[in-house]
Amino acid sequence: MADKKGRYPTEPLKCWDMAKKIREDYYRDYAAAHEKGGLRWAGGAWTFDAIPAGLGDDVFPITSEPYGASCAYDKQFSLRCLEAAEKAGYARDLCAYMRNYWGSILLNQYAFGGPFPKPDFLWQDHICCSHAKWYQVVSELEHGVPHFSIDVSVGPESEINDNKLEYVVGQMHDGIEFLEKTTGRKYDDKLLIRAVKNTCRSTSTWARVCELNKTVPAPLDEKSMYSLYVLGTLQKSSQAVADFYEELLKEVQDRVKRGIAATPNERCRVMSDTQPPWGFLSVFRYLERFGTVSIGSLYTFGLIGAWEVDGNGEWVHRKTPMETGRSINDRDKALRVLAEWELHKPEWQHFYSPHLKSEMMIRIARQWKLDGVMLHYNRGCEGLSLGIAENRLALLKAGFPVMVFEGNMGDEREFDMTRTMARIDAFMETLGMKREFQ
Amino acid sequence: MAVITAGIDMGAKTIKVVLLEDGQKVRARAMELGGTDTRAAGERAFNAALFQAGLRMAEVAHVTATGAGRASAPFAKDSVTEVGAGARGAIFLHPAARTVIDVGAEEGKTLRCDGRGKVIDFAVNEKCAAGAGSFMESMARALEVKLEELGPLALKSGNTIPMNAQCAVFAESEVVTLVHQKHTKEDIAKAVHDAIADRITSMVRKVGFENDVVLIGGVSKNPAFVETMRRNLQTAVNVLPDPEYVGALGAAIVAAENAGVK
Amino acid sequence: MKEIDVFRQWNRKRHEYATAWQKRTGGKVMGYFCTYVPEEILHAAGVLPVRVLGSHEPQNVTEPHIFAMFCPFCRDCLAQGLKGRYKYLDGLMIAQSCLHIRQAYTSWIKHVPVGFSYYLCMPHKVQSRRAYPYLRGELEAFRKAVEGWTGKQISDKALREAIAVYNENRRLMRELYDTRKQAEPPVSGEEVMEISLAQQMVDKREHNEALRKLLAALPRRKRDRPAGTRLMIIGSEDDDIDFLHMVESLNKEQYPATFVVDEHCTGSRYFWNDVPEDKDALMALSRRYIERPPCPTKDWEERKRIPHIMKLARDFGAQGAIVMQQKFCDPHELDTVAIRKELEKQGIKTLFLEFDVTVPIGQFRIRVEAFLETLKQEDLF
Repeated sequence: MADKKGRYPTEPLKCWDMAKKIREDYYRDYAAAHEKGGLRWAGGAWTFDAIPAGLGDDVFPITSEPYGASCAYDKQFSLRCLEAAEKAGYARDLCAYMRNYWGSILLNQYAFGGPFPKPDFLWQDHICCSHAKWYQVVSELEHGVPHFSIDVSVGPESEINDNKLEYVVGQMHDGIEFLEKTTGRKYDDKLLIRAVKNTCRSTSTWARVCELNKTVPAPLDEKSMYSLYVLGTLQKSSQAVADFYEELLKEVQDRVKRGIAATPNERCRVMSDTQPPWGFLSVFRYLERFGTVSIGSLYTFGLIGAWEVDGNGEWVHRKTPMETGRSINDRDKALRVLAEWELHKPEWQHFYSPHLKSEMMIRIARQWKLDGVMLHYNRGCEGLSLGIAENRLALLKAGFPVMVFEGNMGDEREFDMTRTMARIDAFMETLGMKREFQ
Repeated sequence: MAVITAGIDMGAKTIKVVLLEDGQKVRARAMELGGTDTRAAGERAFNAALFQAGLRMAEVAHVTATGAGRASAPFAKDSVTEVGAGARGAIFLHPAARTVIDVGAEEGKTLRCDGRGKVIDFAVNEKCAAGAGSFMESMARALEVKLEELGPLALKSGNTIPMNAQCAVFAESEVVTLVHQKHTKEDIAKAVHDAIADRITSMVRKVGFENDVVLIGGVSKNPAFVETMRRNLQTAVNVLPDPEYVGALGAAIVAAENAGVK
Repeated sequence: MKEIDVFRQWNRKRHEYATAWQKRTGGKVMGYFCTYVPEEILHAAGVLPVRVLGSHEPQNVTEPHIFAMFCPFCRDCLAQGLKGRYKYLDGLMIAQSCLHIRQAYTSWIKHVPVGFSYYLCMPHKVQSRRAYPYLRGELEAFRKAVEGWTGKQISDKALREAIAVYNENRRLMRELYDTRKQAEPPVSGEEVMEISLAQQMVDKREHNEALRKLLAALPRRKRDRPAGTRLMIIGSEDDDIDFLHMVESLNKEQYPATFVVDEHCTGSRYFWNDVPEDKDALMALSRRYIERPPCPTKDWEERKRIPHIMKLARDFGAQGAIVMQQKFCDPHELDTVAIRKELEKQGIKTLFLEFDVTVPIGQFRIRVEAFLETLKQEDLF
């Protein structure tokens, strides 16, 4: 309940430190993997990370998008990375994560200290034009590191059929052969099955956390959510991440029960879209001056979260195969479950049509009780900016005021802080929100 | 007794002040180049307006600032964004206005509003000045004509040369190429206007337009630009009187409200 | 030459051609966006496939629909739809390739509805053995959808006949390209571009007929300028006839140059390989589209475009290469660095150019002249 001044109680998240530790361990484990005879692999945040898990518990990944974002967060380092990629001939309008990542390899500097740890193999998926090509170039830059990518561009969830599923699952089987051949290790299906279950658990639980943000006042704001969802982008198949999300869920449930708000002066609820300009997260803090909270986005909900529409048309977390009683007891079943599960990923749907994305966004806008939407026209990511102008038209048609701002998630040279703030001022004015403090 | 309020528009290039009596009647207007010390320039503009109206600062009940540099406006008690001020000023001058296109020195903006001047949606031209006044200035320089001659020159041409003004720098070199290809100044001037108007039209279409459409901001004083916009949108385009002052006027109206003028 | 003018007319009057065809045959016209569309299935159904291209005019209608970071080509294509230039289309489709052009398709079908629309999930991992049965399945679904739309069965016989017509077209085009291997090619790059653009818009039977006439006449043809420097042009969608014209009409004493081969989806990538023999017609098609010279979106994990490009360069004796792309084309930007490196390694100098809706002829002329000058200096030393 709000007090007389209309302020809700607030408090920091208790599991914050745990999230931080998982992230630190992750980057350190990757770098140190060879010390104990383990393996390192690199791939995207959307890759089927559960599959290499079958090579053993001493196999550590690094995912490229969160790594690129980590680079972007350090503006000085990022600029050096971007310039190194440009010097090597890569165009400035390419994916900004990719350029940061390549730059880091070219400079041979790991964002977390020391030289860039070379991966033993590359394991990627492909739906955006840059996905597999990203690692094609990494393989070239790293003098021929073996590379395997899985094409998942088989169409939206409503059109999945046996032919499409077979194509993806078939590539997964080929991928396991590639892993065995490349590493010389024997593949362990039990580890795969555990990792698939963890993947479903992580992503379903994260969706449950996001669901709780339907509450007014919102228990989480988007800026905090960035630090939480990122764990799923690092390694959604790991036991630590799946367990963490369950802990987080308990804490957020408790916040809802006690009426704890992320933004004490919440009066206005918006969502954003696509990755934020990572070097300028203060944009979200700026909203608080107007009593406005960003409760998340299709991006924060749907990149890692697994969702489905229930009988009442509500968007709710997807039930895991364990909950629905589906057996996962051999390799083929595990791969099939994993493929099906991921092909329903919300952030993969709009690759086929922006109108599918508009539907999901309008659903969020309604069910999370929003007053407006802020779309980041993100020059750094053509995959997520795909069709964004159509999303704008659809949201307006559905009655939601929309503000757009141009920027770049990972190339600060393309973001104009002052003008963006000016734009927010005007947007807040149109929503009738007054600035409460400077 | 009459209540005097003021709006000050701290624009990218110039600073404009409007003094308003009882939220109804414009008493004075003044403009100054912003220069490097915009606050001092703001004070000069203010003094000029006060002098014209025969008023003293103490007689001004409330000052509201607008414009990109509004944070450094002198005398202002509060502020309103350019988008909000543009809508209010436009509705005051032209009550039927529903779409307001504002092209200033460095930015183009479009907004849609209701009859009370409440903004429904807006868009701002991103990044490049290829769709704004300073672009016209550099094009005039490339053609070696005065800025105010550029519009009338373009009106003399009946030819269309396709030109792609996604970027001001490239557009300038395209103009140089056209000069070398011996196209007439008239035709090139028209190509420049077509290019700018295409960019502004793109933005207007993004917001979607509803009649009446009005033009404000300094660039709307250019007759060739207005003509091209009319042709692109296929609708009547109304240039408001003293279009560069509409933002300051809107701010003065907001000031009157904030001062309690009914 | 009149045997070439016919192609030029088709290309210049593409809309008139399609509407006349529609009227004459009573058949349906399908607009399509990417050359991975299996046209043989459409041809077998009596449908005329017409590739949607831009008009190279500045426009102001696509801003509400496509964010400006995407390529000028996809925006130009969508503009054609929004402006009603393709009103006669009975259907519109795309085969999955890059994200950019996909937006032209998705916005078009939403705002300018057509009677039939289809998104063919062309696989990206064409290097996987799994792609063959998968694409075959997708082609089967597509065939059924077309049957439902036209109300007519597509027999295997019709499919095989369509394959024969298309293979004949491909063979004739390769024969035309072969003439460019001569020391003095009888056709210019600009002329060949007119022919290959027309190829994507007109009934292949008519195109075949015109090609046969042209090939019969070419041995007697002599161009009025020397071939000069033999250039190759490589890159994304390119229908910029003005650019090729500019390069091939530079001062013939100082900068003679001729394009002798291309690697574009508006050129050789479109027709280079045949549909192979296979008892199963759909599997034959699947193999053809999977094994064709790839679009960069599909050229991974291995880079198969590069050996193909190098072979073209050798076979056609290219002395220099213009590597172009649509501005903001990420897939090509992801190939360009590697391609240029390999070409330069093999002693073929490159000039990189980014194309927009309109070509800044003046700026490009200066760069091309300077490029040709450096190539000449190579010869001297």
